[in-house]
Amino acid sequence: MKVMDKNKHGNNSNLSFKNAIAANGAFLSLGSKGENSYPIGAVDPSPCMVACPAGVNVKSYVSLISAGKFHEALMIVREQNPFPGICGRICTHPCESFCNRNEIDEPVAIRQLKRFVADYEIEHPWSKSVRTPPARKEKVAIIGSGPAGLTAAHDLALKGYNVTVFEAMPEPGGMLITGIPSYRLPRNILKVEIDYIRSLGVKIKTNTRISGKNALQSLQKKYDAIFMAVGAHKGKKLNIPGEDKYEGFWDALTFLRSVNRGNDIELDDKIIVIGGGNVALDVARTAIRQEAVQKVAPNIAQALDVVKTAVRFGAREVHLVCLESLAEMPASEDEIEEALEENIQIHPSLGPKRIIGRNGHVAGLETVDCLSVFDKNGRFNPMFAENSEKFMEAGTVIMAIGQVPDLDFLEPSEGIEISPGNTIKVDRETLATAIPGIFAGGDAVTGPNTVIDAIAQGHLASGSIESYLNGNQLQQSPLPSTPFETEIKIELSSRTKIKRLNIPRKKMEDRKNRFEEVEFGFDETQAVAEANRCLRCGTCSECFICVPECDKNLTFLSLAAGKNDILLRLTGGIHVPESSPVMLNSDKTKPLSFAAGQINTLFPYILEEYCRGCSDCVNVCGYDALSLMPVNGTSISTINLDLCRQCGTCVAVCSTGALKSPYYTQENIFNIIDDVNPVKPNIIVFTCKWNGSGLVESDLSEINTGKTGVKIIDLMCTGQIQSSFILRALNQGIDGVLVMGCEDKHCHFDFGTAQAAKIMEITFRMGKLLGLKAQQIAYHTTADGNKQDFIDSVNGFIKNLFKKNKTASGSPTVTVA
Amino acid sequence: MKLSTQQIIETNALACQECGKCTGVCPVSKFDRRFSPRSLLMEAVRNDSSKNFENYDIWSCLTCKRCDAVCPSDIKYSDLTRFVRNCAADSGFHGKCSHSGAMDMLQKIMTKQELNQNRLDWVGKDLNISQTGEYLYFVGCAPYFDVFFDDLNLNILTSAKSSIKILNRLGISPVLMPDERCCGHDLLWNGDFEQFKVLAETNLNMIKETEAKTILFSCAECMSAFENLYPAAGFNVGLKLQHMSQFLAEKIKAGDISLKDSSDKITYHDPCRLGRHLEETQAPRIVLNNGGTLHEMKQNGKGSLCCGVSAWMNCDITSKRIQTERLKQASETGADILAVACPKCQIHLECTKKDQIVKNNYGITIKDIAEITLERME
Repeated sequence: MKVMDKNKHGNNSNLSFKNAIAANGAFLSLGSKGENSYPIGAVDPSPCMVACPAGVNVKSYVSLISAGKFHEALMIVREQNPFPGICGRICTHPCESFCNRNEIDEPVAIRQLKRFVADYEIEHPWSKSVRTPPARKEKVAIIGSGPAGLTAAHDLALKGYNVTVFEAMPEPGGMLITGIPSYRLPRNILKVEIDYIRSLGVKIKTNTRISGKNALQSLQKKYDAIFMAVGAHKGKKLNIPGEDKYEGFWDALTFLRSVNRGNDIELDDKIIVIGGGNVALDVARTAIRQEAVQKVAPNIAQALDVVKTAVRFGAREVHLVCLESLAEMPASEDEIEEALEENIQIHPSLGPKRIIGRNGHVAGLETVDCLSVFDKNGRFNPMFAENSEKFMEAGTVIMAIGQVPDLDFLEPSEGIEISPGNTIKVDRETLATAIPGIFAGGDAVTGPNTVIDAIAQGHLASGSIESYLNGNQLQQSPLPSTPFETEIKIELSSRTKIKRLNIPRKKMEDRKNRFEEVEFGFDETQAVAEANRCLRCGTCSECFICVPECDKNLTFLSLAAGKNDILLRLTGGIHVPESSPVMLNSDKTKPLSFAAGQINTLFPYILEEYCRGCSDCVNVCGYDALSLMPVNGTSISTINLDLCRQCGTCVAVCSTGALKSPYYTQENIFNIIDDVNPVKPNIIVFTCKWNGSGLVESDLSEINTGKTGVKIIDLMCTGQIQSSFILRALNQGIDGVLVMGCEDKHCHFDFGTAQAAKIMEITFRMGKLLGLKAQQIAYHTTADGNKQDFIDSVNGFIKNLFKKNKTASGSPTVTVA
Repeated sequence: MKLSTQQIIETNALACQECGKCTGVCPVSKFDRRFSPRSLLMEAVRNDSSKNFENYDIWSCLTCKRCDAVCPSDIKYSDLTRFVRNCAADSGFHGKCSHSGAMDMLQKIMTKQELNQNRLDWVGKDLNISQTGEYLYFVGCAPYFDVFFDDLNLNILTSAKSSIKILNRLGISPVLMPDERCCGHDLLWNGDFEQFKVLAETNLNMIKETEAKTILFSCAECMSAFENLYPAAGFNVGLKLQHMSQFLAEKIKAGDISLKDSSDKITYHDPCRLGRHLEETQAPRIVLNNGGTLHEMKQNGKGSLCCGVSAWMNCDITSKRIQTERLKQASETGADILAVACPKCQIHLECTKKDQIVKNNYGITIKDIAEITLERME
């Protein structure tokens, strides 16, 4: 047996395979002595997945939604993001910015799709099969029940650890509950998702503030590891004259917290909100503008929250003042649009100079025009126009320029270092503080950031804590913290434009003065339609629903290290050297070390001593996977495994048996045919594995067989049908043979239908020569998975075959159902 | 099942002197060095268990009788192989059928008595045929070959059509049987003695009804079945059997047929069934030399190289090497046309030409001897 190394020949330029694993030294060995090795290729992850800070496999759940598998889709989201309902509403969705559909029309509405599956579960509850890992004795304390803390709690609970979350406030949720208004994030959604985490065994102790002398040290005595995710809950100052001096001045967080707790607040008719770019002072040290913009985003969102909340509190006139121009504003278009709809006046390119008071009460704001926010190096360095001072009248001024962590509970004696920006100092790769066993993350470390970033921090913390508790070296994050270049290339030019579904919103007149959710979710039809816009960058959607269902025991490999830690499709048992970094992941729960010397692969191979170089296989392959190679004055067929899709049609057409496939042999089919009891009446139905599969056993009862025995024989593709199968069945005494293929456009292997039609045409002609009855052999095609068509075809065939008074032989015809 | 003592004696198998001449001339041994007729013979005569039937090589022998011809002890090697295969098949061992065994299945289906074939569709109005008469033309499986090897564009039936046209011109309207069965040649060489006997009997019964006195064949295998295998299985054929080349040579000699002079350069491939099994090498040469000059290949006549496969079995790279060598020999004569006298040779050599490299180097045109004759008839 010899399988050609793909590097030796063939054109690989159009391949999406990456030789990532090859670089790591992993080789598939197809020869018995390992002499014919083949580098394992990894499929690059899709751009949406690498864009997600939490590493959610977006393509996968979007695909599942398009297939109507909503619960399965939700499980995929939950693997990396325990808050699908929350992120489905308030995530800043970097995935959409990286979506390849941007090049064609607009990105897939990914955030809204995530919301849909989360809502779907609430409306259609199902019993979640949560993995119950072996319980661990180690206890972990988490301070703060925001998204970072709860994500870490979620991850650790799933690994069997005993987790307790401490929350100072009366309700868990952190900034989710104190900072985000209910019209953006309904509280019942928050409750559902926190309850889910509780259901995993996480204890959440509310009204429990960790403070006082040596609070951390005493906590450390009871717990094996501590994760501080205390958030950033202290309003920031702008240090302009008049700040915090008059009644009617608020900082955003105090304002939102009061509102969200249901306190009654007196607001003036006219309100100014100072928001947006000023917070960029925080990130002035950051050199790259892109990152600065990302950091500003949550703060602008918060300013908008403040503004919109004020409107709901009865303010008649709300002005948002911010440094950036409208084009520069880092808030999402949806949010700005929503604000404009609510008649909020946005004053871009304006800087606050001082707050003016009258009789101890706020009277207004003096502003200056802002010429530019960032300098040419991308640094935050606002330039103001001279003599451009203006006065804006207002009775309430709210400062929404961001927050810093409140770290008063950390006494210097505890030994936790604090950075100059008033955040907890940690190793950014592992989130470890200077004290072993104590970790910190979330806003308390990064400064105010998005929910999805907090979730990413929670994952990072749980990984480090697990390593710490197992006595292992703390590892680098397995998740990319920033999007990395993915080499997935897809063909964009021929794609049709499909309009992105508008996100339905509540009508304006129903919106004011209410704290009900503004956005509606998709319904099922809308969700499926929107999910179908996904381009599925990189073939397999990695949803893995095939794994438990696969009767051929296909297995999956994952790369062990770094950003390329993605799952990829590889089929069959594979011979992998024991020392390779490749791990088997057959049930996707526990990667196993892959033992060397395994069974066969599903790739076909060529026994050179039989190959006649007749080019039959080359001609039949629609993927150009086979080619002839000159050897000693004649030709021998070779396979380019990169292009092969394992349909097995080449194996079927090989007249000498030189092409072999581990899952398909003529002998197998012969044995199945020979085993059919020829007691009459009896028919054999050859069917495409993809089309007829799944209904063969359970739905056989729907086939009106009468006394007729029906044997259904699956082929990977009806392109594998051979005249000899049909002749063999008839020789065996079977009354009739029906071949059920797929309509051309439904063929999973592109050319199977054409090949089957060709073979059937020859078989019909041979049947005619043999004087067989026309109705003894038939070839039908149906649409993919059309069960009724399939059953109707079989019923029709039987009826026709045993119709009385029809003994004359005639010309069989190709009937297409 | 074991070889009977009679079979061993009949084939002179014990007389082997281990001289190695058989291996020296064997076409399979030439291209597959593992293959040794002598060691297979040794295994066969040891005859102690069915174990030796597991050997793949017993199915690789082409039974072309090259070894028979050179053996100083007159060992009937191909007969021995036939007996060994019969024993092996009875013990459940089989050769590797090519083309997914489609041909094997066709032959087996044809053993069914209730079958009512419809195999004369190709006979057009330009051909006169009869249901009874003195001459019977045994078509063979050409109608099936043309369908199954659709992609080869063989037109094997051209030889049948040409033969009938020639017969018509001589005033003969040959009998053709619409339900003619496979002659059984391949089934027997595959070891299936029982089904072979069914086919032989069915054919002979059918022929009896046609009142034919002479059977004409285009296929050398069919003729060798009727002439050698049927009597060996106990069937009395009792009719005159002629290969088309023999019939044509006879008519040319008698002056009933005269052929135009032709400048075509022709070479001739002796089928092993005609040349060695039926020992007829002269008749085709008489036909082809009439009005033209035959360009002989390096290996010809009794020493001809086989077409590389027999009985649709064990086709592999060795077969192809033999066929490529044969096409090379044919091309080296400088001829434009390779004349054949057996449809199997034609199929196998055409199949080899599917390899573009072979076709480019040795892509000689292949034609049946009857087709060539008809083209030249005045």
